[in-house]
Amino acid sequence: MAKKNDADRMTDKTDGTAVQGTEMDKNMAMDIAMDMGKLLLKSGAETSRVEETMLRFCRGCGYSDLNVVCMPTVIILGDESTEGKNRVFRVHRRFIDLGVIMAVNSLSYNFRRLKPDYNSMKLLLNGMAEKKPLYGRFSVCAAAGLGSAFFSTLLGGSMPDFAAAFLTCFAAMWLLKLMTASHLGNFWQNWLAGFVIGIIASVCCALNKGCTTQNVIVGALMPFLPGLSFTNGVRDYIAGDLLSGGSRIAEAVLMALSLAIGLIFALKLWRYAAIC
Amino acid sequence: MLKTFVLAFAATVSFGVLFQGPRRILWQGGIIGACGWVLLVLLKENFYVHSFTANFAASLFIALCSETAARIFKQPATVFNVMAVIPIVPGLGIYSGMQCILEENSALGSRLLLGAAMDSCAIALGIMMISGVFFTVRKVKETNEKIETRR
Repeated sequence: MAKKNDADRMTDKTDGTAVQGTEMDKNMAMDIAMDMGKLLLKSGAETSRVEETMLRFCRGCGYSDLNVVCMPTVIILGDESTEGKNRVFRVHRRFIDLGVIMAVNSLSYNFRRLKPDYNSMKLLLNGMAEKKPLYGRFSVCAAAGLGSAFFSTLLGGSMPDFAAAFLTCFAAMWLLKLMTASHLGNFWQNWLAGFVIGIIASVCCALNKGCTTQNVIVGALMPFLPGLSFTNGVRDYIAGDLLSGGSRIAEAVLMALSLAIGLIFALKLWRYAAIC
Repeated sequence: MLKTFVLAFAATVSFGVLFQGPRRILWQGGIIGACGWVLLVLLKENFYVHSFTANFAASLFIALCSETAARIFKQPATVFNVMAVIPIVPGLGIYSGMQCILEENSALGSRLLLGAAMDSCAIALGIMMISGVFFTVRKVKETNEKIETRR
């Protein structure tokens, strides 16, 4: 194994593509690039950004024969040379974490200027992977609730609407966060969120005459709408990544559809219950 | 109008927290999102612009501001885009269209849903155009740098 790495290094040096300053062999470079790509894709970056960051890192290390293919569910980092090895990483779950995207972006930016060595990069990336998210479950749910409450006020809601939207969205988001531990699919999770929104909003409006169902439900729906997938899909299309763009937009449409079906189910159920 | 701005700002910042955005980018994103929302409302209600055009203008504005902020604060543009675009997503149209179809008023319902779909297309188009322009500019710059280093 070590011999092969040495051979790699030798050939690269004789190619004239070798680097000055960094002491990373091909395996190490692939390792770091893969870690960066994993972090980015897991925290909801668009695939063109993942590809670009990884490729830029590999080129920065002087390996122009490494290539990356990234799709919303998989990263493939391949070596073009005859002795090359490939690395594949399959992503099952993606979260949205803007902080990680920013951190990896600045790391990649710093790499180009400072050229840190393998161990310090690996340490930094491991730290990022193991770090807990910036805001805990409670504050995330409260933020979602507040956002939807402000939004329902923005659409002309009153004070009771504010409270009802907060309550509805908080409960639905809490449930969704609980569900992520279970192995329900994306479709059923969103379906349940829509269902809970419909039921709680209907109950709130039945209890308090000051609420309008429309304001409460539209406000509470807002944090669940797949705006990020949609925006990412569009950006992928722009970068020429038709496959990723298409699947992102399909994901967004599917999520919106499952949310709507859950909501319709709840509202219909409520109406039948009211008739009976 | 000030009340609208403040409410939209608060809503956008809350969505930023929901997406785990660090504190140092929340206020920029909030201001961009609030400006976009105010622009959308102003165009729609005071100048009676068609919904598609208003959404297009608002998303152009948001994308332009995000790209500028990305260059000023040295962060990726997505971070601002994602937060700021959320308020102008046509949730109301989708919901009321669905509600109408549920009440078996499918003519009005499909019209509302089509309107919502058009609005989302307008938003996508706005982001697409601006990020396409910036993408090209960056590529051209990089190629020029490469040529210079080769010399």
